[in-house]
Amino acid sequence: MKTKQFLMIVLLAALLAGCATMPPNELVDARQAYQIASEGQAAQLAPAELHKAKDALNLAEQSFAKDPDSARTKDLSYVALRKAELAGVVGAMAADTSRKDRAGAAFEKKQTEIVQQGKQDLRDSEKQTAEARAELDKQAALKEAKEKSDAELAVVQANKEKADADLLKQQAETTNQAKQDLRDSEQRTAEARAELARIGAVKEEERGLVVTLSGGVLFRSADSTLLTSAQVKLDQVAKALLTVRERNIIVEGHTDSQGSIAYNQGLSQRRADTVRDYLILRGYPAARIQAHGMGKGSPIANNASPEGRANNRRVEIVIEREMQSSNR
Amino acid sequence: MRQVSKIKFIVFAMAVAATTIIAGCSSAPLRTEASTSGIRAAEEVGAAKVPQASLHLQLAKEELAQAKIFSAKGEKKKAASMLLRAEADAELAVVLSREDAEKTEANDAVARVRQLRQDNP
Repeated sequence: MKTKQFLMIVLLAALLAGCATMPPNELVDARQAYQIASEGQAAQLAPAELHKAKDALNLAEQSFAKDPDSARTKDLSYVALRKAELAGVVGAMAADTSRKDRAGAAFEKKQTEIVQQGKQDLRDSEKQTAEARAELDKQAALKEAKEKSDAELAVVQANKEKADADLLKQQAETTNQAKQDLRDSEQRTAEARAELARIGAVKEEERGLVVTLSGGVLFRSADSTLLTSAQVKLDQVAKALLTVRERNIIVEGHTDSQGSIAYNQGLSQRRADTVRDYLILRGYPAARIQAHGMGKGSPIANNASPEGRANNRRVEIVIEREMQSSNR
Repeated sequence: MRQVSKIKFIVFAMAVAATTIIAGCSSAPLRTEASTSGIRAAEEVGAAKVPQASLHLQLAKEELAQAKIFSAKGEKKKAASMLLRAEADAELAVVLSREDAEKTEANDAVARVRQLRQDNP
């Protein structure tokens, strides 16, 4: 029984001793708060406040060691709790400040980027505007040049059409004139031919119109001087020829077969020259008259009879065709 | 005889001095400046509008009042300890108010950046 009572007393004493060393709730809370604060942001961001909290906790611990149940221990623990909480809050505030600063820096950086991008966009836009304006100017210049070119082309076209019309008109006039000239020429030729036909024999050959004048009518025998009566006849011939004075003519002298070749050649040439000179004297262009002595080489009749020889003694005036004359 | 009188005089003087000191201590005014200025600072930074800070501001006020009661009762130690509580709560109320403002500003800054980035991808 005594042993039991002793054990109860010991146990009670032990419990009382344990109760006596139990820290107050304020101190427990202060320790825990300091633990949280020291493991959080305060350790790096609020070391001064954390240090004050540590000092406050130490005071509370010291007070607890001296007088665990005293109100002072509780008050100091309470203060230590608040100091630890304050350290945590200051750490959080420092973190917020850092976050705000980073956000501010990011904002400024982004704003700078936006401004830079805006400037770049503006430059690009200005460049594009300048290019577009240049292109528009170019297009306008091209359009203006095209309009000018079109106008010039229209003028050229109009001029060409006018020129074509003028040309056609001129061609028509020329053609008409040529036709008229041809008709006139043909008329004159026909008249001249008719006139010449009254004067001498006229025949159409390949080389042209050939007027044959008898040698006996024009010259004395073996002479190249024109008879007076011959001059009248040649005046008529000249008058007819002057109507076709644009034609080239050839005066050919021919003899019969009597006499030497050289003599006949010389006589025929002199007679041709005499007729040529006379026609020139009467106004026919000298440049269009040639005189050829043909001798006895081109008889038109038999030299065996007197009539044949008379026919062979002749002067032929060859009026070349118009085409041949114009080619000369 | 003169020696005894001298001793009596010294004892009397010490008794008077001790009485004076004790009387002086018991009537020393409570130093509430730190608590009061802490509470005023908390009010100026807008602690009343921040829930957590408002709680500690209220605690500080109550603790200051309690300290005054203790002081009035002559419980100077309790009053001084209570003042320490009031100062701690007032100081915490100030920091909580500032932290709330700082957090708001930080959140606003982050939101502005986010909005800026969203508007300008």
